Amino acid sequence: MTMNILPPNSSAIKTRFAVKFIQAMKRLSKRRGMGDRYKRYRATRAAACVSMASAVGPEWAWSRAVLRKIKRRRLLRQFRVSRKRRLIERTTNPRQNLGFGQEEDLRGLVPGGKGMDYCSLLSETAHYITCLQAQVQVMADILHRSSP
Amino acid sequence: MDKDYFMSSGIIPPPQPLHFETSMPNPWSSDQSFFNPNPSIIHQFPHFDSSWTSIASSTTAAALAPPSLAADPGFAERAAKFSRFGSRSLNGRTSPPPMSRGSNPPAAELSTPPLKPDGSPPPRNRNSGENSNGESSVSDQIPAKMNSRKRKAISRGKNKDDRSNSPKEAAADGSSKRSKQSENCENEEECNKADQKPPEPPKDYIHVRARRGQATDSHSLAERVRREKISERMKLLQDLVPGCNKVTGKALMLDEIINYVQSLQRQVEFLSMKLASVNPDLDFNMESLLSKDMYQQQLYPLDSSIYHNQNVQHQHLQGTTISSVDPLPLDASLGIDGFSENLPQFPAFTEDDLHSIVQMGFLQNSVQNQTSNMKVEL
Repeated sequence: MTMNILPPNSSAIKTRFAVKFIQAMKRLSKRRGMGDRYKRYRATRAAACVSMASAVGPEWAWSRAVLRKIKRRRLLRQFRVSRKRRLIERTTNPRQNLGFGQEEDLRGLVPGGKGMDYCSLLSETAHYITCLQAQVQVMADILHRSSP
Repeated sequence: MDKDYFMSSGIIPPPQPLHFETSMPNPWSSDQSFFNPNPSIIHQFPHFDSSWTSIASSTTAAALAPPSLAADPGFAERAAKFSRFGSRSLNGRTSPPPMSRGSNPPAAELSTPPLKPDGSPPPRNRNSGENSNGESSVSDQIPAKMNSRKRKAISRGKNKDDRSNSPKEAAADGSSKRSKQSENCENEEECNKADQKPPEPPKDYIHVRARRGQATDSHSLAERVRREKISERMKLLQDLVPGCNKVTGKALMLDEIINYVQSLQRQVEFLSMKLASVNPDLDFNMESLLSKDMYQQQLYPLDSSIYHNQNVQHQHLQGTTISSVDPLPLDASLGIDGFSENLPQFPAFTEDDLHSIVQMGFLQNSVQNQTSNMKVEL
């Protein structure tokens, strides 16, 4: 049976993510127009997601989806065009859809989850979880290093 | 139902064996030629199973001993051919090796399998490649009964009891290739030839055998494969998400997973908010942060990942993604300073190692030599 791509080496991803994230933060702090505002929080969050996605690479669907979303948001912010929402209707197999619509919830949570079949959704979720864990650890480390 | 079909076909109780033949269902009609020359066969078949005992009662000589079967030279061969409808094993086999058996029990075994699934399978034959499986899997009752009875009747010295239990277990467990194969072997082993190993059909990519009592069309097989994939992924997820071991069932697991992903995302947002508020003060610290951070992953007790991280980092630094580290030549001094503070805390690493790492990391000098050295040490 075909196996998942092996779970990522978390320390490699951590270092890559850390490097990119700190660079992005430096760029962010140098940018003007960023007071003590909600805007900076959003930019920081976006920087975190983008650097994680680019550290992961294009082989995973969720990282591609994250990068696409950020690029689209930047372009749209420039031109201030309302985004078209693409609604993809998936006919979920009733056998798999147990309980209370958890599958849809999961699709909503994992970036790019709406365009995937259930099997790949599960493997993407697994990889996404490991990357999120790494991201949280690195960001917590950076925070602790910087404050004291 | 199959049994009724089976029985009804057979129980037009013929006073003579020949009439019994003609009353048999269609698939057997082609084999009537086998019957005709050797009417004694009929008498002996019922001997082996209770489902046939009613037929046996209707027939005359029900007590013919099996040895007479073996005495018939062409019997085994005919029985083998005859059994091609019923036994999945013989389907795969082109030349039944009946001649090798002079012994009683093998011949007796040979005779039995043709009977067991015969009534039902041929009409149920599906188009899937696993033809033989369809036949055997269709009628659970009859084959199961027959199998168990035959196994008891025929004591072969192979693990009969194990095999008799295996199909039930295999049917009860989740379908796995191995269980199916063992089940297959077990059924084949009856009809077969101790000498011959049940030949397994050639395998292309994913080979799934239908379990007993399961449909065998390609759709359901593919669905089963898919279901197995999904359960495999769920197991992976279960390992990842903490606290999922106690939870059983897909729905609850999915709930846990969703909660965990949400909590991780919330944590990221919270941390980014904190970082955003702290950020303006961090300008000059970025480089030191970077240098410290790179080794944090190693130095913190991450078990074996420590060594692996070192190695990985070497590779990483050798790679093209190093460009991010290049424009920070000043970091070397900062890094080393920050680093030396940490040295005493981590006796696992010698100072030489750490310093060489720093030099390698930031100065990009003689990376090759040092990395090779480091790798050797690791």
